[in-house]
Amino acid sequence: MNTSTNILDIKNIEVTYDNVILALHDVSLKVPKGKVVALLGANGAGKSTTLKAVSTMLASERGKVTKGTIEYDGTSIEKQNPSQMVGLGMVQVLEGRRCFGHLTVEENIIAGAYSRKLSKGDINQELEKIYTYFIRLKERRKSQAAFTSGGEQQMIAVARAMMAKPKMLLLDEPTMGLAPQLVAEIFNIVKELNQKEGVSILLAEQNTNVALKNSDYGYIIETGRVMLDGTAQSLLSNDQVKELYLGISKKGRKNFRDVLKEENLTKKKIN
Amino acid sequence: MVDELLFFMEVLVGGLLAGTMYSLVALGFVLIFKASATFNFSQGAMVFFSVLAFVGFMQDFNIPFVLAFILAALLMVVVGLCTERFVLRPLMNASEDTVLMATIGLGYVLEGLAQAAWGVEVRRLDLGIGDFPVPWIADNLKLFISALDITAGVVAAIMIIGLFLLFKYTKIGLGLRAVADDAGAASSIGIPLKHIMLLVWSAAGVVALVAGCMWGARAGVQFALVDLALKALPVLIIGGFSSIPGAIIGGLIIGAVEKVLEVYIGPFFGGAIEGWAPYVLAIFFLLYRPEGLFGEKIIRRV
Repeated sequence: MNTSTNILDIKNIEVTYDNVILALHDVSLKVPKGKVVALLGANGAGKSTTLKAVSTMLASERGKVTKGTIEYDGTSIEKQNPSQMVGLGMVQVLEGRRCFGHLTVEENIIAGAYSRKLSKGDINQELEKIYTYFIRLKERRKSQAAFTSGGEQQMIAVARAMMAKPKMLLLDEPTMGLAPQLVAEIFNIVKELNQKEGVSILLAEQNTNVALKNSDYGYIIETGRVMLDGTAQSLLSNDQVKELYLGISKKGRKNFRDVLKEENLTKKKIN
Repeated sequence: MVDELLFFMEVLVGGLLAGTMYSLVALGFVLIFKASATFNFSQGAMVFFSVLAFVGFMQDFNIPFVLAFILAALLMVVVGLCTERFVLRPLMNASEDTVLMATIGLGYVLEGLAQAAWGVEVRRLDLGIGDFPVPWIADNLKLFISALDITAGVVAAIMIIGLFLLFKYTKIGLGLRAVADDAGAASSIGIPLKHIMLLVWSAAGVVALVAGCMWGARAGVQFALVDLALKALPVLIIGGFSSIPGAIIGGLIIGAVEKVLEVYIGPFFGGAIEGWAPYVLAIFFLLYRPEGLFGEKIIRRV
């Protein structure tokens, strides 16, 4: 990968919360322009923390990048705040959808254009374009967002983020708690946005199989460290990934550290 | 019989109009509750501070009425600016309870500043509107209704319509409603919380100034205005903390109920039930409809 084609370049970041809790030890990852990159791992592995470090939303949770650098579109994001990041074209879709429950579906989506100076006509034009991806939302545009289904709320959250005209989207567990059919639908939309709008995507998922099938590249993190990375294809056919994340289990090994330990032992034996 | 009915009407209309004065105070609370999800204990102090500054500008510096009002309104914007910068921003990640305590502190600071700058004596505020029955209504409808009450009613109506339009149809209004629902999500799509807070606190300051003018004209501009904030509490419990129409209707209900009860039931209790009757009503609301009449229901999907 050529560095100049990366829209996002994270180098060896360490993140602490409240100055004491070390959430990320050493995470490096790259997102090439126009690609979909999956960030995989179990609960508490540090996926959300990584995304929030990128969108600078960490500060509002008393978290801080204490080591390493994050470059977005060629510049450091160190001194930015979330609304500046949105202005630069980086929008995060937070975990748990987080729709504005008392606003209508359409008001939710329009709120996404807040950072842009658009006339009423421009907003309607953008809205119609967004609705071509989210047909289901157009039917429900006048309903209060809190009364829509989980899948619809996820669509609202992505549609809302798209209204900011992002160059890059950060999706935090977009399929959490959704039925398989909806998971597929959401990923189809994400792929479509990636291909037609050229949005680069970094997505955090626990749903390893579906995520890798819809991504170009993947990183697996465990307890705040990148354990393995590779093209989506190579990860899908990797024995260890199969065993630990795709549920094709052998012995009682639980995580990569155990796997590496075992490998070291076998290496030593051979030597 | 007709006389009795007329008397009842007079009590009721008087109560409703007096209620709009409560509504005005409650409005300021609702604005801040929507954005910060906190009860702003300094709202009473803001009322006192703003109207004392207004009267001070007129009486101590001989600034004409309109200019003094504009200056006082600008001063409240400055207060909003300072509150955002020195109180809210440092407490950005703090719990709602912490912000609540901070508003109590802010209240004391404003009270102190106001008295340090303008002195402690009660001042008279003459709006040019008498607090006596309007002759035309007294002659034609046989109702004795104060001109000040009518003015307060009209002013409250204008402010409500203005705020409603602001929230429903402007971009910043949409931003405010988004922040009220989920501040974190709002900031994730680039809505600057700073600007929203500034807007809300400035608007609450100007609303406080208007409420202060109405009450100051009736009762004199004095420290007791601070305690008015407490009367807004039952209003908000009945109307709902997050609803602007709720603040209005709550104010009307409190105004009407307290006057009617005072006149018809008061004698059995030896009078002066105006002071506590609204709180009894509020307790019933807390028991049976805690979100108030118009408060946003806590929506939970199951």
